[in-house]
Amino acid sequence: MFPVDQTASAATAAAATAVQDPERHRWIRVGTSIDHDPERAVQEALAPVLAMGSPRLAIIFCSPAHDLAAISRRVKQALGDGDVIGCSTAGELIRDHALSGGLLIWALGGEGFAVTTGFGQGDAQKGLRDAAFEAAQCIEQLERKQHTILFLLADGLCGDQMEVVRGAYDACGAQVPLMGGCAGDDMALQSTRQIHEGDLLTNAVVAAAITSDSPMAIGIAHGWEPLSEPMLVTGSRGTTLASLDDRPALDVYLDAYDAPEDVRQDPTAFFSFAHTRPIGIARRNRTEIRYVYGADYEKRTLTIFAEVPQGAMAYLMKGSCHSVLEATAEVCALAEKSLDGMPARGFMLLECVARKSLLDQAGLLDQSLRLPTIKEGVSVGGFYTYGEIARTEGSGGLHNQTVVALALA
Amino acid sequence: MSSAPWSLHLLSEVLAAFTLESPTALRDVVSRVGESVDAEVIAIFQGGEFELCSGLNRQEKPALQAIAATADTELRLEGGLLHLFWAPLNNGELLVVGRFREGFDLEERALLRGMGRCIQLSTQVLAAVKAEQEALRAEQVAKERAIHEATCDHLTGLPNRRLLLAHLAARLAAPAPVDCHTAVLFIDLDRFKQINDLHGHPAGDEVLRQVGQRLSALVRGGDLVGRISGDEFVVVAEVREQADALSLADRILEQLQLPLQVQGRALPSSGSIGIAIAEAGDDPETLLANADLAMYSVKQRGSGRFACFDASLREQLQERARIEEELRAGLAAGQIRAWFQPIISTVHGTVVGFEALARWQHPQRGVLAPAVFITIAEEAGLLRELDAAVLKDACLQIGGWSGARDGLLPRLSVNISATSLADPLLSQRVREVLASSDFPGDQLFLEITETTLVEDVASAFTNIAELKTLGIRLAVDDFGTGYSSLRYLRRFPVGILKIDRSFVDGLGHDQEDEVIVETVIRMARSLGIEVVAEGVETVDQAEILRRLGCHYLQGFLYGRPTDAASSAELYEESLVGLIRLGVHVA
Repeated sequence: MFPVDQTASAATAAAATAVQDPERHRWIRVGTSIDHDPERAVQEALAPVLAMGSPRLAIIFCSPAHDLAAISRRVKQALGDGDVIGCSTAGELIRDHALSGGLLIWALGGEGFAVTTGFGQGDAQKGLRDAAFEAAQCIEQLERKQHTILFLLADGLCGDQMEVVRGAYDACGAQVPLMGGCAGDDMALQSTRQIHEGDLLTNAVVAAAITSDSPMAIGIAHGWEPLSEPMLVTGSRGTTLASLDDRPALDVYLDAYDAPEDVRQDPTAFFSFAHTRPIGIARRNRTEIRYVYGADYEKRTLTIFAEVPQGAMAYLMKGSCHSVLEATAEVCALAEKSLDGMPARGFMLLECVARKSLLDQAGLLDQSLRLPTIKEGVSVGGFYTYGEIARTEGSGGLHNQTVVALALA
Repeated sequence: MSSAPWSLHLLSEVLAAFTLESPTALRDVVSRVGESVDAEVIAIFQGGEFELCSGLNRQEKPALQAIAATADTELRLEGGLLHLFWAPLNNGELLVVGRFREGFDLEERALLRGMGRCIQLSTQVLAAVKAEQEALRAEQVAKERAIHEATCDHLTGLPNRRLLLAHLAARLAAPAPVDCHTAVLFIDLDRFKQINDLHGHPAGDEVLRQVGQRLSALVRGGDLVGRISGDEFVVVAEVREQADALSLADRILEQLQLPLQVQGRALPSSGSIGIAIAEAGDDPETLLANADLAMYSVKQRGSGRFACFDASLREQLQERARIEEELRAGLAAGQIRAWFQPIISTVHGTVVGFEALARWQHPQRGVLAPAVFITIAEEAGLLRELDAAVLKDACLQIGGWSGARDGLLPRLSVNISATSLADPLLSQRVREVLASSDFPGDQLFLEITETTLVEDVASAFTNIAELKTLGIRLAVDDFGTGYSSLRYLRRFPVGILKIDRSFVDGLGHDQEDEVIVETVIRMARSLGIEVVAEGVETVDQAEILRRLGCHYLQGFLYGRPTDAASSAELYEESLVGLIRLGVHVA
């Protein structure tokens, strides 16, 4: 059995200590486990968190290989009043390396933070805009301090993920940065899960509104470059890209990348091939990346995680292992630079699963999380996503094949 | 690699987002306009109010609203200075786009103007299309409603006769699979009129609804249930053989026999079913008529069952139609005559009265007993005329007997149906008959059944009260076979109870019958009501009835119904007998 009494008393003692310890006024801790027994996994992952006291918020990132229902219930049970959200992943990220099939709990606590959470239920037909709006309504109950963000986790396989940003933005407005990711399922692409206060959801959006008396900042990087000339998106609906410059999108894609024969016939080969060959959409002063994850050989269309809007200008993108590694290494530094000179106490790192594939194919995955700019002892945790959310300016902010980092002072 | 002007493709992107299919098209387009220029705020104003607004919280919105009239290009908010661009749309609408950090350059302003114009035109198109779609939808709804009303029964929602016949016609026209036949089950609820009369029409309507639901639950997906009129339902089903149709009818009867919960009461229910199986060349009307005919044959045999159509039923129907036609003519021609059965006093053993019974003096078939034509008269709505004819003929005949001249008239009982009793003109007609025949009202008894006494007399209260003023009394026929209320016996001018022949039959060998008869006689005597025993056929029965105190006897022992002339002779003889006995008869 999980030693509830012991953990509760340890948390109480730690909370008492926090009154005198400024380090505990705001704290971030990350715990992990690769044990597949839910009881032991939760105990192990929560241990470093509870050593700091009762968290305000615990975010579960967990492989679908685990019993997510048991884990979410157990975490909620152990934390009591602390809020809990989370999702299934395509891999979990900690400093220096990635887990496969693991459990990661990213938590923050201390008097300097306050949190409220919410969720919204969508469905495959109507998508997630209204669900995101509903989830983001939790910000209304938040007693805001100087700095506030909304953290979102959405079902990465339910409709156009851009709708998640739009729904949350409708609720929060321009003053609240949005950050988050789209849940994964270890690349099975079947079904993802979202966790809200011990409940397991699907086709949903969960959100945590986090407010702090110190800065929080978001960094974004991807490291992709245009490969092709710009093309007009002449046919697109939802997550199906039908044509580019009035040619079937699949044919344009395969020809531009000079795809080998097996990729032209075998969906599995295509899936692997497309991981490292995203599409870029031209925005006013940047390029947004969209992850191609499937092809319809009969209709000659591409399937994208988020909409490539009809009428937009698009590029086929290329990346190198070097640029991907560089982006990951720099994104935390980018975020920390925006903390008004204050040091980061912790980071949330959300990286597209396709970037993992690129490095994996090159045998460089072990180097993917070398984060030389981050000081020793600063907690880093996150997951491999099916889409990344980062909005600091403008009203858009859905990314693919990108790495985003949240730094908290 | 060439670089394309960013604003052009963003305009193209926004234009492409317009769709007539999505109800949230305008919201989606406005979101894209904001995203295209990295604007944080985008809103549409209509008459100074927000029609759409994204990017501002509740506290910030009033600040933007306050400058809508002046279209200021800067607004200081908590998050910083918001740079604004205002683009007029149509009908006083304004599109406003706001961005922190930097204002909008010329290219952006041109882009937003263009987008605003797109939104303006598109909203006009959208509104026109929406109006057209709504008009089309309203027309479609009206059309569907009209079709529904024309083809469905409004009470049960089931197909009506028209739709049912169309469905049947389509089935009969389609090539039938091997070993597959169309069966029509014609269902008529038993005693439905009583439910309406006793519990009101809302209860009757509820019964029909529940029956419709039960029938619908019983049939298979491809079968059809319809209500074609009143309490008549029809099921059209595909069957392999007649046995399948019989099995379905059996299941329907079983369901119909379960009580219906209506207005907090469990109402008894049952139905009669006629079945017709389609044969080559059958048309829908004929098939339905055949099933109706089979149902009718069930009703004739007592209802609550089912029967299949066969050709002999049609012949019976033709025969029935012929009789009905002849009966109408016969009534007009005075062929309905009164015959008389004597009623004997147990004190003197002499005739004291007669019961008038209808006979049809048919020009070709001779004298016909009521069994041939009463049911037809009832179904054809001729009972009132029939009752009136018998009453008139009986009074005229007896009024003309020789004894009438001396004031020695026998009592006369004339049967009267519930239909006649409820006729508002009844008392007037009776008064006219009495006047034309010189028959005294106090010698006339109108015979009603025990059921009529309980269920129909109350509704004919005015008629009865008026008859009472003429001296006319009621005789309750078949007493003891139904259920009575002593209150009714007291309340209405009941002068005679007629003990049903089924009790008289048992006298001498069934102790229970004797007890019942004795009890009825005692009760009647205590209420001051006289008793006539019907169906007396043996001397023993007569003796027992005399011993039990019965006033009068009637039955074959004393005479079968005979025509007026024979009855007059019988009465004359009886008067003579009385005189011989020294009884004062004047």
